[in-house]
Amino acid sequence: MIIDGISVGRNVRPETVAELASAIADETGAMVPMGSGTQMEFGNPLRAADCVLDLSGLSRITTYNPAELTIHVEAGATLGQIQSALAPNKQALPLDPWNGPSATIGGIAAANAQGPMRAIGGIRDWIIGMTVVHVDGRVSKTGGRVVKNVTGYDLAKLYTGSLGSLTVIAEISFKLKAQFPKTSTAIAEFQNFQDALAVLGGIRKSPLQPIACELVGGAGQANAIWIRFGEHPAAVAWQNAQLPSADWSVIEGDLESAAWERLRLQHAKLGPVVIRVVGLPSETGTMIEQFHPVSWIAHAASGIVLMAFDNADRVPHIREHYPAVIERAPLEMRRSVATFGVRGTEKRLIQEMKQKFDPEARLNPGRHIDGE
Amino acid sequence: MRAEIIEKLRRVVGKDAVVADETELLVYECDALAIFKHKPDAVVFPETTEQVSGIVKVACEYGLPFLPRGAGTGLSGGAMAAEGGIIIEMQKMNRILKIDTENRIAIVQPGVVNLNITQTTAPLGLYYAPDPSSQQACTIGGNVAENAGGPHCLKYGMTTNHILAIEVVLANGEIVRLGNPAGESVGMDLVGTIVGSEGTFVIVTEITIRLLPKPQAVKTLLAAYHSVEACSQTVSDIIGAGIVPAALEFVDDKTIHAVEASVFKAGYPLDARAALLIELDGFQDGIEEMSTAISEICRKNQAYEVRVAKNDQERAQLWLGRKGAFGAMGRVSPDMIVMDAVIPRTRLPDVLLEVDRLSELHGLAVANVFHAGDGNLHPLILFDSRYPDQVERIHKLGEAIMRVCVDAGGALSGEHGIGIEKKEFMGLIFNDTDLDVMGDVKSVFNPTAMLNPSKIFPSRHACSEIGRSTTTSTAAIGKRVEAMLLGGSRVDH
Repeated sequence: MIIDGISVGRNVRPETVAELASAIADETGAMVPMGSGTQMEFGNPLRAADCVLDLSGLSRITTYNPAELTIHVEAGATLGQIQSALAPNKQALPLDPWNGPSATIGGIAAANAQGPMRAIGGIRDWIIGMTVVHVDGRVSKTGGRVVKNVTGYDLAKLYTGSLGSLTVIAEISFKLKAQFPKTSTAIAEFQNFQDALAVLGGIRKSPLQPIACELVGGAGQANAIWIRFGEHPAAVAWQNAQLPSADWSVIEGDLESAAWERLRLQHAKLGPVVIRVVGLPSETGTMIEQFHPVSWIAHAASGIVLMAFDNADRVPHIREHYPAVIERAPLEMRRSVATFGVRGTEKRLIQEMKQKFDPEARLNPGRHIDGE
Repeated sequence: MRAEIIEKLRRVVGKDAVVADETELLVYECDALAIFKHKPDAVVFPETTEQVSGIVKVACEYGLPFLPRGAGTGLSGGAMAAEGGIIIEMQKMNRILKIDTENRIAIVQPGVVNLNITQTTAPLGLYYAPDPSSQQACTIGGNVAENAGGPHCLKYGMTTNHILAIEVVLANGEIVRLGNPAGESVGMDLVGTIVGSEGTFVIVTEITIRLLPKPQAVKTLLAAYHSVEACSQTVSDIIGAGIVPAALEFVDDKTIHAVEASVFKAGYPLDARAALLIELDGFQDGIEEMSTAISEICRKNQAYEVRVAKNDQERAQLWLGRKGAFGAMGRVSPDMIVMDAVIPRTRLPDVLLEVDRLSELHGLAVANVFHAGDGNLHPLILFDSRYPDQVERIHKLGEAIMRVCVDAGGALSGEHGIGIEKKEFMGLIFNDTDLDVMGDVKSVFNPTAMLNPSKIFPSRHACSEIGRSTTTSTAAIGKRVEAMLLGGSRVDH
């Protein structure tokens, strides 16, 4: 297998946490944990890679307690697999990362991958416990299996988004949500960008509580607002009725699911460079006007704009104004621009964390801030 | 404390902002967990982040322990100067710096009282969701340190789910800003790692919080039962039905009788063995149907009375009993200990029966009033401290209850934290590797372990004290027996 231009010689596929721990303890080279490989273009280029830790064999749902609204899964279980297990009980893990249902839950956590439903929280907000394997093969846990818990430090927060650079996530416990009694999505197109921004402004100042609110557009194209509600049917209907005046099409059921799947595929085609620019909801329009991306999908309720560019040249300029993460870019561009761009004392703290967990830099070396 | 150090502190914060008088220091020898006491050597009242940094640098220069303190309402000894040193009292940093209505965020200093945020933002149609029972007094900085909860965390999450960005002073005095108003982690989620670190990682000096729109409609119900099992089964059934109320609180007969005999009289039925206080909130449209569904679940579980508050006054009355429950206990018992533990929600019926059995076995009354929806128990052990044999039995009973909760798959604390109170119990949940890893993370933020020492880690676990003596203070040794337990006395929770 070739990752970041490096031909990786070894591949191990453990089927239990103990096997994973043993494989890691035995390995002397640089290790690359991998789920279904949907996020391999995210992060700084690896400096070394000797062994792929293929986590697809760790794919069991170890405990699912519907009455408790909690589930405990191995890291290689896919999001789709988990949702299928929950569906008969009308329960869900309310995550819709752009990399879709084939992504493994461990990979989603390691990359802190998010999608439109970020408006109601990311994966960090649903994790209640984690088991991880350290670079020396030790296994440790954080959190627990109850929904409310302040026993010890919440290290699951630290591991979420650490791109497998501190530990290898082996198991995750989640609290769950009942499926929304009903969802619907209202979509409206706007020829004029300012008109779209005015409607978004109206939504922000209203009592509406969307579970997703996206502004989708591109240079020279119409802009669309996608706003999704998930609630009791009466509350969904009420919210749709309160939307600011525009030519809304409201879709539900299979049509709605198909539409979001189309948007997911549209996201997959963004690029070749996708930058996640982080501002405030009210700055969504300004950010787009200021940096002139080729196309964009904005989580308008959260202040996060995914901007697509032909290259990464604008990144330094963007970072003068906003935090920005390179979500996707070809290898040669990732070699020239840092993925996270974190500086100063915060960078030092993260580097020290890496040093503490992985002193010989053998877990995804260079992929996180240690590569910047 | 040496005059030279006091003088240096005064140069940082001004001469009136340093307390070093032995008598005045007595006020700061404990937080709301009053059984653990240790006097600090000085208490300093900064007004700016730079002053906090200056104080920390003086502490570092002289090798003194130091720790932040808000209103001192914590129930695990987190704000107690276990090894003396300097308490950095944050109450003067109490300004709400910014309210951004459109983006639904506020920027506040750590000494702002929790409830003040909601009171200030209410006219704008917004509020701050986490509502610990001490919210009239506790500060947001303390909430961040402890990852505070409250009744409404069932639906809206804990403090950690509402903190977007923080400014902090590191253990070496450096100032750094972490996070952003979008709450989007860029790099590693150091904000999430710091929230709930019980003041052992950093001192938080500014906080950007998420505000929520006030719910359009609120519905409050009281369901009364002749049996604890039926009452707790209702909790499981509500959760299992996928309904997440805003709050789902349990009160037992001892609590009901105490409340009804007190100024907190709420009209709870005196013949009930247990009752649930259930609150729904959200959009007006649909709330009636949810309320009906909940009522049906209650009745199906043999609730003999389901009362729905007809107006705000009735709603406030029902909550008065719940919120005043701890205070009302003074009528039935001279002393009490508030425990805090979590169990899986479906284990409520059997765990409560076991707590009853243990209560009888140890000859001490236990009242139960707690956040049932998320399985967060608060058994109140009632006793009379004038009888030494009762004090001894409390420790045994408290430990036994804690073990029952852990054996049921639960956790040591749902919202009060570990602090000094439960650190000796950490081994029930975590093994040495787990604790070593936590110690490693602590050492990145707090390499000399001078920031809030002797907390969270069991005494035998050397990892928490890397780079310094592991000697435990005399007071801590004297309290070792109490360290087997659990909770304060006469606390207004």
